[in-house]
Amino acid sequence: MLYDLFLVLPMAIVVIGAIVLMLLRFSPWLSVINRNFITIVILGISLCIDVLHYAAAPDTFVFVDIFGHGFVVDTFATLFDMMFLGGAMLTLLINNEYFKSRNYFDGDFFALLLFGVFGMMILAHANELISAFVALEIASLSIYVLVGYNTANPKSPEAMMKYIVLGSLMGALFMLGVALVYGETGSTIIGDIYQHIASHPHTNHTLIAVGGLLMIVTILFKIGAVPFHAWVIDVYHGAPLPVAMVMASTFKIALFAITLRIYLIDFEPVYAVWSQSLQIITALTLIGGSFLALIQDNIKRMLAGSSIVHAGYMMIALCSIGAGDKLAASAIMFYLISYFLSSVGAFGILSFLTAKEHKHLTFEDFRGFGFRHPYLAVMMTIFMLSLAGFPSTIGFMGKFYIFVSAIESGHVYIALLGVFVAFVSIFYYFRLIAMMYFNKDEGKEQEFAFDTSTTLIFLMALLTVTGGIGMGLIPYLPSADGFMDIAREAIGSLVR
Amino acid sequence: MPEYYLALAALLFCIGLVGAVSRRNLFVIYMSIELMLNAINLMLATFARAQNDHGGTVMALLLIAVIASEAAVFLSMIITLFRTNRTIDADFFTNLSQEQNP
Repeated sequence: MLYDLFLVLPMAIVVIGAIVLMLLRFSPWLSVINRNFITIVILGISLCIDVLHYAAAPDTFVFVDIFGHGFVVDTFATLFDMMFLGGAMLTLLINNEYFKSRNYFDGDFFALLLFGVFGMMILAHANELISAFVALEIASLSIYVLVGYNTANPKSPEAMMKYIVLGSLMGALFMLGVALVYGETGSTIIGDIYQHIASHPHTNHTLIAVGGLLMIVTILFKIGAVPFHAWVIDVYHGAPLPVAMVMASTFKIALFAITLRIYLIDFEPVYAVWSQSLQIITALTLIGGSFLALIQDNIKRMLAGSSIVHAGYMMIALCSIGAGDKLAASAIMFYLISYFLSSVGAFGILSFLTAKEHKHLTFEDFRGFGFRHPYLAVMMTIFMLSLAGFPSTIGFMGKFYIFVSAIESGHVYIALLGVFVAFVSIFYYFRLIAMMYFNKDEGKEQEFAFDTSTTLIFLMALLTVTGGIGMGLIPYLPSADGFMDIAREAIGSLVR
Repeated sequence: MPEYYLALAALLFCIGLVGAVSRRNLFVIYMSIELMLNAINLMLATFARAQNDHGGTVMALLLIAVIASEAAVFLSMIITLFRTNRTIDADFFTNLSQEQNP
């Protein structure tokens, strides 16, 4: 019992911290920066305990007499926990300047963010569909409110409206899928459903196939795959920048955590039913996302469009899992980290720049940027190269593993389409680089401002490059191959 | 006779889906989504009764809690939108459309 408490301690710390921050809402002696610092400390303590857990490699259900087999602590979930906590910490640190420059960030913002992270952690640990749904709703509801946080700007509540109407509609579809699966199997625990399918090999499993399809529709909506992409660009545009960063990185990682858990264990026998539709959606996502990113003039909207394309790359690997490829699941995890580093870095530069002036940055605003801010421009170039998948950056390694897994599982056409889309993406990423360097501007060169945000951005640029060249050169740090081994081990803990 | 209850649940779900897709008033959209979730509640209760397993009823209870928390967020959003724009017609909100942000 006591050991169980120790195992759930990271989540407990996060949720207690959220409640404490909520109670300190009206305390006059806490500035925004102090609150940001407290939030980071809470996440940091939780991360340290998670590292301890990871070293002990637990694989057990916790509080069996209360939750049954609904709540699991294993290497897979602990690794994902570490990714959420580290991601949220980096996002908060990078936005330090942005929090200072806006007056609408109060105590509730950080409490809601912590509740969102708590929901994502539960999502990674959920071994039961109802718990997964409740966790998904905890995370989503926090994100809905955070999107509409800047009530002074009419765009922000409008983005929230677009997100919550479609999001709760899709939540209902997820629940319908759960109800249908429950109707056939009489259980919502993921292992039990697998047992049921395995012990009835000669039935059709229509309800499970339909229910699984409804659940994956919800997840595809949340990651922004193309027939369900209508909200992505608007919501990213209207949301405050820190929230857009959380949605693009941490929340997406959480969604892939539950996707991998459900579809690696559960629905293996009914893959054939929907693997075709998943491939079509992948192709649509790659093409449609590129088109949407091509036509944007606003950098924030362009990054939102490109996030659809990156979701498409990860879905290539999801198709390969259906075809039984061993590399695919760990390729997704590696790609999530590489995408996290480069997109949060790029968003971080945007947030650092908009902290000074109150407007949305367009391509035109970057004219001559390379002469005004030479160091920031170099970092932006690194992030753009990594997003485009240029060799010697971590983005290249991520795409490499994805395409290898697709070719190994026989989806050559999808891999070819992915390579083609990567070529198209060079247009909109290099447009920014060309804008920064090939246009002379009258502006004077400005000093490199040393503070929390720029230091963190520099660190992430460094990680992006070392991840691509090979972290194996540095002792005691896992290289790209090393991380693939870690991910494979975690996936191994999942498939019992 | 679980079939009748399941048919009723399917009917309610379809009414909710059509309402959520076709109506423009945010309140009506919200009520349609509630109708869909409550249809699922009915479905869960029916399955629980048919299989003689109490899990389904517990799920229905949990789902009611989720519906309530969603209601809180949704209604506060409607109030915020109405305060600034004096309307809750979903077609009115076009600040983020592609035409206005090329």
